[in-house]
Amino acid sequence: MGGDLLARNRQGFRYTNVKPNYLHTFVGIGIAATMLLIFYLPMYRVLNESALIPINIFNFLFIFLLFPLQGPLFRKVCLLVAGNVVGLAWHFIKSSFGAVSVFYLGADAFKIITVVIGPIIDFVWIVSVWSLGLSMLASAQRRNEVKWEGSN
Amino acid sequence: MILFLNLIFILLAMFMSAYLARHYIFTLTALYHQKEQPHHRLHDTTYQPTVSVLIPARNEEKVIGRILQRMTELTYPKEKLEVIVIDDASTDQTSEIAEENTKKHGHIKVVHRSPDDGGKGKPAALNHGLKYVKGEIVYCFDADYYPQRDILEKLTACFKDPKVGAVQGRVTVLNEPDTLVTRLVALERTGGYRVDQFARDNLGLIPQFGGTVGGFRRSLIESLGGWDVNMLAEDTDLTFKVYFAGYKIQYVNDAECYEEAVENWRSYWRQRSRWAKGHMQCAFRHLWPLVKKKNLRLREKIDGFLLLNVYFVPILVGLAWILGATLFLVQPPPWIRILWVAIPISVYSSVGNFAPFFEVGIGAYLDGRERIYWLIPLLVLTFLFNMLICTKALMDLCVSKITGKKRHAWTKTLHNGRGNCYIGNYNKVE
Repeated sequence: MGGDLLARNRQGFRYTNVKPNYLHTFVGIGIAATMLLIFYLPMYRVLNESALIPINIFNFLFIFLLFPLQGPLFRKVCLLVAGNVVGLAWHFIKSSFGAVSVFYLGADAFKIITVVIGPIIDFVWIVSVWSLGLSMLASAQRRNEVKWEGSN
Repeated sequence: MILFLNLIFILLAMFMSAYLARHYIFTLTALYHQKEQPHHRLHDTTYQPTVSVLIPARNEEKVIGRILQRMTELTYPKEKLEVIVIDDASTDQTSEIAEENTKKHGHIKVVHRSPDDGGKGKPAALNHGLKYVKGEIVYCFDADYYPQRDILEKLTACFKDPKVGAVQGRVTVLNEPDTLVTRLVALERTGGYRVDQFARDNLGLIPQFGGTVGGFRRSLIESLGGWDVNMLAEDTDLTFKVYFAGYKIQYVNDAECYEEAVENWRSYWRQRSRWAKGHMQCAFRHLWPLVKKKNLRLREKIDGFLLLNVYFVPILVGLAWILGATLFLVQPPPWIRILWVAIPISVYSSVGNFAPFFEVGIGAYLDGRERIYWLIPLLVLTFLFNMLICTKALMDLCVSKITGKKRHAWTKTLHNGRGNCYIGNYNKVE
């Protein structure tokens, strides 16, 4: 067991040289831009900046830190779209929570909940979805490496 | 008054954004920009000066045998290597275990500190050991560490460059699967070394000497007066002294060493409190000389400034959060809605030993890890914990400044040797 841990962590002389995949990045920019346009134009009445800013941050991080990495484009696109959907869902959950708090506790309570809990809730979904995406890409990458090592 | 608070809020938001940009640049650098390191060129491995390894140990009976066994397995030529264990007035079996090893292996020595002199912290023990050093290069390893066999070759190759005054290797957590805390520390280490230190080295900034898994030219460390016993972060103190003296520090990512990380929140608190206080001491001491220093480039100064202030960040994030919420509730000006972004940014940029989550994630990706990403959201726990730790540390420092107390107690991290079970070939020394 111990040997396995050391072997797993060990870097050795191997450089993990990542060559950015620009094509995937451009595709990601296109998809993210399309989704943001949908959010900004037809849905702007139901979404305010407290929803759009976290979604923007998520898209920015996802495009420039996940799309350039090695891995299947289809998987990246699915994860990006899923992330945006989760962002929207979180916003609606947060808004529902706010509406309930206004109804029972008043407008001031809503403000406090929005300011204090809002960033934490946003943090939870952005980081979780981003980490999940990275995990899936890393697993795919590892499987490819094992396959490549096996064929040699 | 409201305007004044708004101005402070804007300043804080700018400060957070600077850190966010810094970490983003580091992450991209670690991913895509890599320069060759000296030991990757075969001819450099022929450069083998005499080296001394200092191992300060106070009550380390559970782990000292492990590192001493490893010192006998190093591939560095034994005739050019001396290992000095500094028994810092231990009251357990540390001294006996070390003495036993000296009898078997000629290159291992033990120096003892008397109960009157000992127990005053690692810097004092290292200074004591420095008196006995004969090698041209002096390395320090903590007693709970477990280096690669060829670590000294990898680190020493950097000293071929006369401008390099010190080197730093990579720290990896040995007992990672033990508890949630060890797993989170492993994530922090990944971000801190694989991305942060690596990028600093690549960009020609200020890689930090971490106090262990690293070394100096003996002439340099002696000219700097050794380790400062009044500093709780003597490693950061030395980092800046090395740069002020006109040398640089090189980080070697491939020179890996395993550490036994703290296992519970109490130990985490004690260890990080010492780091936070020490780092703040360094900030107070070195900020102004850093600004004035003429031998440093602008980018080194900027990086040095951000590095020195890094333990103030959790406090400022908390402050920005409270201030933002207050302004929003009391009298929201029309543009506060735009500044809304500052609050999430301040949180995102500060998670995980002050490194953002994406830095940690990319570090794990570069390490070829698979499952550890699932724990990244939990780094918010360490961030909130660090917020309390840093606030308490700052308050303690202010109190000691007011009361005129100069010396701070060195809180030693206890090691229980549970990491031994992860080392396949380790023969436990009883």
